Amino acid sequence: MLRCEKCGVSLSGSMDRCPLCQGPLTGRPEENVYPVLPGEERPRRLLARLAALLTVAVLAVCTAVNYCFPAGGWWVLFVAGGLASAWLVIGVALWKRRSPMKAIVWLLALVLALVLAWDWRTGFRGWSVNFVIPCFIPCMQLAVVITARALRLRPADYLLYLSICVTAGFLPLIPLLCGTLWMAYPSVVCAGLSVLALAALLLFRWRALKGELIRRSHL
Amino acid sequence: MTDKSLPSWWTLDNAAKIFPSTASSHDSKVFRFACELQEPVDPALLQTALDRTIERFPIYRCVMKRGWFWYYLEDSALPARVRPEELPPCYPLYPAARRGLLFRVLYYRRRISLEVHHSLTDGAGALNFLCSLVYEYLLLRWPDRFPEPHPDLPYDASQFQRQADSFQKYYEKPPRRALSRSPAAYQLRGERLPKNRLTILEGRIPLDSLLACARARGATLTELMAAVLLRAIHSGMRVRDRKRPVVITIPVNLRNYFPSESARNFFATINVGYDFSRGEDSLEAVLAQVRRGFQENLTEERMRAQMNSLCALEHSIPLRLVPLPVKDVVLRAANWLAARSVTASFSNVGRVSMPGEMGALIRRFSVFTSAGMLQACACSFGGEYVVSFASPFRSLEVERVFFRELAGMGLEIVLTTNLAPEKEEE
Repeated sequence: MLRCEKCGVSLSGSMDRCPLCQGPLTGRPEENVYPVLPGEERPRRLLARLAALLTVAVLAVCTAVNYCFPAGGWWVLFVAGGLASAWLVIGVALWKRRSPMKAIVWLLALVLALVLAWDWRTGFRGWSVNFVIPCFIPCMQLAVVITARALRLRPADYLLYLSICVTAGFLPLIPLLCGTLWMAYPSVVCAGLSVLALAALLLFRWRALKGELIRRSHL
Repeated sequence: MTDKSLPSWWTLDNAAKIFPSTASSHDSKVFRFACELQEPVDPALLQTALDRTIERFPIYRCVMKRGWFWYYLEDSALPARVRPEELPPCYPLYPAARRGLLFRVLYYRRRISLEVHHSLTDGAGALNFLCSLVYEYLLLRWPDRFPEPHPDLPYDASQFQRQADSFQKYYEKPPRRALSRSPAAYQLRGERLPKNRLTILEGRIPLDSLLACARARGATLTELMAAVLLRAIHSGMRVRDRKRPVVITIPVNLRNYFPSESARNFFATINVGYDFSRGEDSLEAVLAQVRRGFQENLTEERMRAQMNSLCALEHSIPLRLVPLPVKDVVLRAANWLAARSVTASFSNVGRVSMPGEMGALIRRFSVFTSAGMLQACACSFGGEYVVSFASPFRSLEVERVFFRELAGMGLEIVLTTNLAPEKEEE
């Protein structure tokens, strides 16, 4: 056992100096009491920082070029919007990477918003509500089912998210019933699939879904 | 439950409700109980012992989930595995890189450690789990020494009793009272360790001589320790900080006041402070004030009042309807406000007891907890009192004065620490 005469204490374990006064020790060291750990954790955001630097570089170059050759209008805004959208989507996916189900629901909401925003800012020709959204929602519904199967999730762990995605499938009905669409088929198919999925969910999984809703909403 | 689609679940108890919101990489709200045996731990036997123990504590098999209004615990199928100790002490359990159980069992040389997230249970509950684990392990390790019938484990409770939320059982609506704000206490300063790191400094003191020391001053062990700690903190204060009181918060096991065998949280806290700008700084003066503080605060009425006022918050309908993300922010702010009125924390778990014949196979128990501030925990086993400091600071000045003062009373102290030798630090 080691001893620090100045502090008047004995020391168990192996150390070079007294932990209290950093003074010299007498006696023989013993085996470690705590494992020696590797040094401090390194921040793991190197890749994100490199990507951010690259984004800034691309934006700076594009802005400079656009400023020097302004003939085609301010196309740099599209570059900026595209980069911002990419950062948002990747950011949300990484933020929710621990629970893939939540990631899917968040991505669904985010992509819907982004697609609408892009369509709106580019003259609102309606490609978002006519095609992209009614095709995208069933894809995400399928993604929930495939992910849940692949990860062997218990019903309690995915039913809620599945029902959110299924409910979202009725959103394309809003523009359809308002009569603003010039291409109805994708929205009709999307809503039809969602009716089917909802019916299956309620008929076969109602008990588990109810349990999950009770747990999630307990006061 | 047999139906896999309908897992069991539990709401968080009153004390646990604040922990998932406020856990962070600087204060993981994880605490550790450790048991050092006489000989190296056999991981395979420890795993079997854990499998048997967890059968009796089903709530330990749960994971934390976010509801819309509150966090809750849900039964999970995740396996509980013993692991070698390779992470820093009290490494975060929730939120963590991937969803996992809210406890871990570690082994290192002769030591079995149980690390638990505070939202699952408090010190007394975790100690019961560790004692059961060590009990099962020793039965497996020494089948000849402990033939049937096995010695009795002191902790005897039904599964229902273990899972009970005793706060709910004893809550009665308190009369309306204005919330009293405590004055801001002195806060320790200094360079902090990187996130997820803690300095552990553990002092082992012979129990009989320490008891003699305390009795000579007419105090209990906890009172003596609190007084010495108050003085140690005072010694490092800057003169211009000395107008602020030094306050130590002390968790109290409510099981001693209200009958409960719950393996979950059931504690309240009392604050004991000393204003060094108003009184002299001799040990006698501080000790007298600490004793008064204990006598005033440690009454059943005070405990009941505190428990009820905390539970009343949880029972208020408008507060319950606040969505969880907002609650997170509010609880973090409340935690920060509460921390402002406290300098450090001292928690005495008390005597650990194991069936008599098993005591000879165990060297000692120790306990410490993750710390946003300086935290000291103590427990005693056999003839030894172990007080462990967990600190988020690089400097060990408070600890130095604390242990030097105890050594000055003629106590034989053996220290140990997780501080790596100097070359590792740089």
